[in-house]
Amino acid sequence: MAAWTLVQWLIAALAFGSTVVGGYVGYQAYRGFRRHHSRTMQYLSLGLISLTAVSFGVAFAGSVLLRRGYLPASYQQPLTLATRTFQFVGVSLIAYSLHRRG
Amino acid sequence: MSGDSELAALLDVLSDDYARSILAATSVRPMSAKQIAEECDMSGPTVYRRVERLREHDLVEEQTRVRVGGNDYNTYAATLSEFSLQLDEGSFEATLEAAPPPEFPGQHEDDAADRFTKMWEHL
Repeated sequence: MAAWTLVQWLIAALAFGSTVVGGYVGYQAYRGFRRHHSRTMQYLSLGLISLTAVSFGVAFAGSVLLRRGYLPASYQQPLTLATRTFQFVGVSLIAYSLHRRG
Repeated sequence: MSGDSELAALLDVLSDDYARSILAATSVRPMSAKQIAEECDMSGPTVYRRVERLREHDLVEEQTRVRVGGNDYNTYAATLSEFSLQLDEGSFEATLEAAPPPEFPGQHEDDAADRFTKMWEHL
């Protein structure tokens, strides 16, 4: 496998950072849901985790598997579709949590 | 409001420039004594003396901010929103209107999850 360029390292580091920070914010929302029995926070936490940790995780794991050849190149598009789907579900859950009360 | 001496004391507090500056500054947002000193260009002792007098008359409210690593500190917020004086049938009648200071939802919460919940639910 070819050595990674600086830009590739930066992309990977930022993707990992987004996963960690997004996961942290989602975790705080989840704690808010547990502490206050707030459905609003439940949807917010699910949305944040789907938008950040899950979609980045899928994209990152997928790109590693593709790069190493564990997955055929034809999986590229379905993986992108899956990533976009998690992002869409994430923002939709956040939008829903904004409008529901209690 | 009862008693001439109480009214006199209140007028005395409100006639003080420093005290009014503190009320004005803390009506915008709660501030620590240090922030008041900087904002109003006063010495620390001046701030403490005035804040103490304002508190005696319930014109400001003390709030404690808890910090995770200890070192809790106090902030002060003006509670006064209106002061009026009426002269009727030979006697003065003073009225104080107190308003709770405007708060950002969850600003007093120490825990990130509690603060987050209140912020989000109040959007």
